[in-house]
Parts: sequence; structure tokens; C-alpha cells
Amino acid sequence: MRIDINKKIAPESEEINNINFIQAQLYVLKTGLNIHYISAGTEDVIRLDLVFDGGINKQEQNAVAVATNTMLAEGTSKYSAKQIAEQLDYYGAYFQTHCTADDSVVTLYCLKKHFSSCVPYIIEIISDSVFPEKELETYKTNAIQRLAVNEQRNSFLNRRIFYSSIFGKQCCYGTYSSSVDYEKISRETLVSFFNHNYKMGIKYILMAGCVDETILKVCEQLFSGIPVSILTKKPITEFDYPLPKSYFIEKKDSVQSAIRIGRALFNRTHPDNSSLQLLNLILGGYFGSRLMRNIREEKGLTYGIHSSVESYLRSGCFYISTEINAPLQEKGLTEIYREISNLRKTVIPHDELMLAKNYMMGSFLRSVDGPFSIMDRHKILIDYKLSYQYYYNFIEKVKNTTPNNLIEIANKYLQEQDLIEVIVGKKNAK
Amino acid sequence: MISFNKYILENGLTVIHHEDKTTELCVLNILYNVGSKDEDPNKTGFAHLFEHLMFGGSKNIKEFDKELQKAAGESNAFTSNDITNYYLTLPANNIETGFWLESDRMLNLNITQKSLTVQKSVVIEEFKERYLNQPYGDLWLKILPLAYTVHPYSWATIGKEIVHIEAATIEDVKLFFKRFYCPNNAILSIAGNISLEKTKQLVDKWFSSIPAQVSKRVPYKKEPEQTLARHETFKTNVPLDAIIKAYHCCERSSPDYYATDMLCDVLGAGRSSRLYNTLVKEKKLFSSIDCYITSDIDPGLFIIEGKLIKGINIKDAENAIFQEIKQIKSSPISDYEIQKIKNKTETNIRFNDIGVLNKAMKLAYCELLGDINLVNTESNQYLSVSSDNIQSVSNNILNESNCSTVYYLAK
Repeated sequence: MRIDINKKIAPESEEINNINFIQAQLYVLKTGLNIHYISAGTEDVIRLDLVFDGGINKQEQNAVAVATNTMLAEGTSKYSAKQIAEQLDYYGAYFQTHCTADDSVVTLYCLKKHFSSCVPYIIEIISDSVFPEKELETYKTNAIQRLAVNEQRNSFLNRRIFYSSIFGKQCCYGTYSSSVDYEKISRETLVSFFNHNYKMGIKYILMAGCVDETILKVCEQLFSGIPVSILTKKPITEFDYPLPKSYFIEKKDSVQSAIRIGRALFNRTHPDNSSLQLLNLILGGYFGSRLMRNIREEKGLTYGIHSSVESYLRSGCFYISTEINAPLQEKGLTEIYREISNLRKTVIPHDELMLAKNYMMGSFLRSVDGPFSIMDRHKILIDYKLSYQYYYNFIEKVKNTTPNNLIEIANKYLQEQDLIEVIVGKKNAK
Repeated sequence: MISFNKYILENGLTVIHHEDKTTELCVLNILYNVGSKDEDPNKTGFAHLFEHLMFGGSKNIKEFDKELQKAAGESNAFTSNDITNYYLTLPANNIETGFWLESDRMLNLNITQKSLTVQKSVVIEEFKERYLNQPYGDLWLKILPLAYTVHPYSWATIGKEIVHIEAATIEDVKLFFKRFYCPNNAILSIAGNISLEKTKQLVDKWFSSIPAQVSKRVPYKKEPEQTLARHETFKTNVPLDAIIKAYHCCERSSPDYYATDMLCDVLGAGRSSRLYNTLVKEKKLFSSIDCYITSDIDPGLFIIEGKLIKGINIKDAENAIFQEIKQIKSSPISDYEIQKIKNKTETNIRFNDIGVLNKAMKLAYCELLGDINLVNTESNQYLSVSSDNIQSVSNNILNESNCSTVYYLAK
């Protein structure tokens, strides 16, 4: 016999009280190089990350850090770009490079059985890349063309103006490259950047997936000739936080305007970080956020609106971003500022706060599911010199945040006069 | 190896279970066998608009997302030509909330005029953001109606035009729900830290009492074989000239699918692929070139898409593509190159099988294709493809008479 269920009442659900996730282990090579590894997952795959001091903060000329990073596999003294691509593809591997303001990373994805065949090419790339003139010319042409396509996107232009406005164009967090910058890149500059920031050594290695004794032994052998990087040069770029200023760039044909409102703030080591994260979540950090509910789900002015808190090694920022129906953008702006002002003036109701806290815990749980995701979390600890206690404290702090704490945070950091507004799109009659 | 259990309820709902004790999460994925190909040609974009409405409240639950978020969960959905797929992730202990939410919206929706009006605006903004307000964003709006003359793949999932979305009514919504959103037109897959016993108990509790419906699928026309090359040129506000070539190819469940996919890889996958090496690196005609297949349930498209280097004549660029095609059709592909593609495919499959969400989706999709065992057997299908298979597929597909070509010319 079937028991009748009351479908109006939600099934019991539990709060997430503690999150147990696998912690990375450390293996130190004879050379002194640290390998942080996580052995987990159901498939026999490995992700290998080699982390370097080759971030944008080390470049003396625009576009050089990214160009060096992107061109690493474009030829060594032993192999041509084609040969490297051919070999890595043959073993079914994926090779990626990534360059941020703070560091640069070379990543290999491969099956465990091909690991020892692939790594020698990666080592070749990071210790003997030669940046052939011919490949550089192709890179420049293609990079400039890609830029031309991106520059037709309102959201791209908006992002660029926003970061340079809050951090200053001289700062690694605010700088961007123009086509002239790409034109100016010479082979010599790349070789020099490579010599200083890659050839001098690896900062540390990350490995996640099916990592075992054999794999570590292979690393011991293959990485024996690779030095550990010693931070010799301080980051070059300086901060010149400009005065808050708003920008409007007109794009006549736009059917939507890209809008970004925000400011420079602090990074994740700041004592107010966890409360700001929670406040941000409530404002625009998830589907049920106030901005999404009001501007998308209530008024249908946009496909999406989000707010974000970003953390960098030496700074951080907060912003709201959206692409909004151009003829109604003033209405959207009014609502955005109304939501910010509500956070400063009105206490967040208990139910909404509890929901946000639960969601945040769930989102943390999802972000530590699987070896690759856990490794991304671990990298943060290494870079910011934190221990796992950081995550446990973060969870504890979020749980203990009160509505009054949040009003305080909103008043401290989200005053309208401290926020800048960047709009790329159509001009509206105000 | 993805292990699974499968059974069918009396009301026709197919249930698939996959247990993974290494995760603290559980995923609930529901695939409804309805996509934009099931739409009325005068009301396109409706399946996707409907997907948005599925979050607007159901018979007993006012706010889907709020209840899910309370239980620390998250959800999303996507619509394609063929299917509408909904998924949610919860901490395994709270998975019953997912059963409650998904079963209630399968039971009945509670759509208000206001929610319909708002979601129409949201979808129109999505249309603008993704298709109109970006360079080359309207590519699918241009190539599909050229490639398909009668088959409903001739319109994009977002819809032919904004007025179709504007015209949708509550009656359309109710009718669509009745026709397609029923247990006998759905596949439910549950993956994560949950036992088969608990799965069965929860499925029985929440889904077994939902009545089956008579699913009224409107037949649509098969696309006739293309016999003449089709061309269209658009002079428009893009920064670079571009070529898109769309060749008709086989359906996802055809035995030729694997050879077609591998042909695509030989031409366009990775930095060592033929098109990238010859046309981008050596001849410097394109700044980027891609090759992919649409993998649809009905016969799909094999696409070659490239952006030209400034100053290059578009005919010269296209001729260079022809030369590569001629090459692959006439000379056998070496064992080495075949092995390379097979290795790449193996990696792709292994990496795609990471995480319970991917597994849940893949299980449901393979079941829809008609053979759930494909989740584990497809890698062997790829391994058994020969050089001859690929070459014969290339001779069947890569002909101008089977191709629709769009030129974008920068104004």
C-alpha cells in the first residue's frame, strides 16, 4: 500500500557541518623541487601543472608574459613546433599554458600509461624553448586578429576598461595589450623573459589524478636536471589606484549595453574576506541572488547579472557585471544601485541569510569534488602561504556571520561614491 | 568502466543508477525526449523557452531554485535540437529534495502569465547576447536554413527570430507540457553516493504515481539528399572574413558515426591536425580553423569553419581547404595518424568520464540512443575504425554538392 505523501512539504535536509576533503601530499625531489600531489579519482588520468614566476607582474613590456607563455611549444633547439605538437598529440595528451597577473602555468593532461612518454617533451619546452622568428610572426598576426574580433564585443571592452580604471594601467592587474604592443614584441624580448622566468626553474609542481609511487619515481628521474626557481626579481608593476571615475563608451549598433560597477579591494587573506564573500553571494553570487531575482527573474531586463569578488596575490576587487537590454538600461542601473543601497540600510532577513549560507557550503562541497578541483583549492593555499586551516576557518566564519556584520561590511565597502561605473553600449536619454 | 543499473517503471519512466562511493555528492539528471526539432515551424525557440519555464514553479512548489538552494544544491539545464536535459547536484544526504523537486515539475507546472512574460524577455535578451551582439554570433542562424530545406534542424535552438518567442502563449505552454513532459518520454539518471536500494525507494516514492501520457509527436519531414552546392555571402560588420562549410553527414547512432568523428579529428583536432598545420601554420591563410560535427540524433552536419588572415582572397582560402579535402579523399591515412587519433579519442573519453554529473548525463544520453551499453563500448567502436572507413566516409561526405557554404565578408 502506498503511503500518501504531502508534496507541499520539502523532505528533511541536513545542514553541511563539516567538509572532509582529501588533502594534497608533498613529495620533495632530490633537487629540492616540491611536488604537491593528490591521488584520487576513478579514471587512470593525470593532470600535471608546472608553476613558474612568469606572470604579467614580471614583464617590462606589454604582451610579453602572455606571448612567452603561449609560444612555449613553438619550437626548441631539438624539435620544431610541429614535431612537439605531433608527439604530444600522438600520445593523446593535451598541453595547455596559462598566464595570469601573478604567475604562469604549463599543464599536461594525459593518461597514466603515456605519462613518461609525454613529460620529456614538456621538460624540453620549459628548458629549451627558442621562439623561432617565423612562429613569432604567425603568433603576432593571429593575436592581433583575435584582438580585433574581441574588440567588437562590448563585454570585452568593458572588462578591459574596468580593470585599468580600478588598478591603473601600469599595474599588472589593470594592464592590457593593444595591437601596437603585439607588433612591438621581438624574439629577443621573449628569449630574455624565458631565460629569467622559465629556464631559471620551476616554482613548484602539482599533480592530480592517478598518482602513485611509480609516477613519483618517473618525476624524480625526469625532473632531475630542472632547477628550483628562486625568486630573484620583485614584481615590477606598481599600484597607482586611480581616483574613482566612470566611463561611457558608445557603440551605436548595440542591442545590449555591457555594464560593470565595482572597485578595487583586498585579497582572501583580509579579515573581512569571508563576510564580503557572503554579502556578495546574497547580492549577485548565485541564481537566487537579489540582482538575479530582481533584474532577470522579476523584470526580464537581462539574460544574466552577477557580482563577483576576485582575489589576487597583492590585491583584489569587487564588481557587478551584466549585459542589459539597451533601451531599458537606466531602469537596470537604478535597480542595481537600489539593491546595493538596500544592503547598506536594511538587515538581511534570517531565512535569506540561512539559505545563502547553506548554498555557500554546498558550493564549497562541489568545488572540492574530484582530484582536479581539490588541486585548484590547494594551489591557492600554496600561493597565499596558507594551511588547510584557512578553509576550515572560512567555513566557521561564514557560519557565524550575523546580519549586523553584513550591514557593517556593506557600509564599509559598498558606498556608491567609492564604486566606478563602466558602460559600453548605447547612450540613453537620462 | 561505468557500472550501472537500469529499470523501467510502470508509467514508462526509465531509471538509471550509478553508485560512486568516493564522492559526497549526488546528481539527478532528467532527459526529456524533446528538442527544437519537435517545434511548430511558426513557433520556433519554444522548447528552449519552455526549459526556462520549468524553473518557474510547479504544482506544489512555488520556487524551485529556492528550495534546492536551501538544501545546498544547484541546478541547470540545456536544450538542443533533440533533447531538453535538466540536472541538479546536492550533498548526497539531501538528495531526496532533488526527487521532490524533479517529480513535482514532471507532475504538473504552475505557470503564471507573469512568469511567461518575464521569461520571454529573458530569452530575448539571451538571443541578443549570444546571437546578435557578437561578431559571428549569428552563424547558426545563417548556416542552418541553408543546409536544411525541410527538416526542423533548419532553425537554431534559440529560434528563427525574436517574434516567435514574443508570440508564445500560456496555451502553447500547457499543450507542450502535456505532449512531452511525462514519465514515458523521460530518462532519469541518478549518480553519486547513493545505493541502488535507496534509489529504488526514492524513485518509487516520488515518481511512480505520476501518470503516463499519450505522447503525441508530430511527424516531420526527412531532409532530402542535397545534390547541388549552396552558397550565401553576407557583407556585414565583422572584423575579418570567414568561411563556414557545412556538409551533411550521418546521424549519431549510425555505424559510420565513429569514422566520421575521426575524420573530423584528422582534419581539425589539435595543433598537429592537417588543417591547422597546413592552412594556419604553413600557408598562413587562416588565423584559426576548426572542424567539428553536430552529433545529432537525425543526420547532422560536418562543419569546417575558419577566419581568414587579413588581405587573403576568400576564394584562395577556400581552394586551400579543397586541396586538403582532395588529399584525404585520395591518399590513404597512415597507420601512425590513425593511431594518433585513436589515442586522442581514448584520452577524451577518459577525461569526459570524470565526475558524477558527466556520468549521469552520458548514461541518460546513451539510453536515448537506444543502447545504454554504449557508455562503455564506444571506445571499442573507435578502436575498430580503419583507414579505409575514414577514407570512404570522406568520399561520401566531403563533396561540394553536399555542402552549404557561407562567406562572411568584412564591410
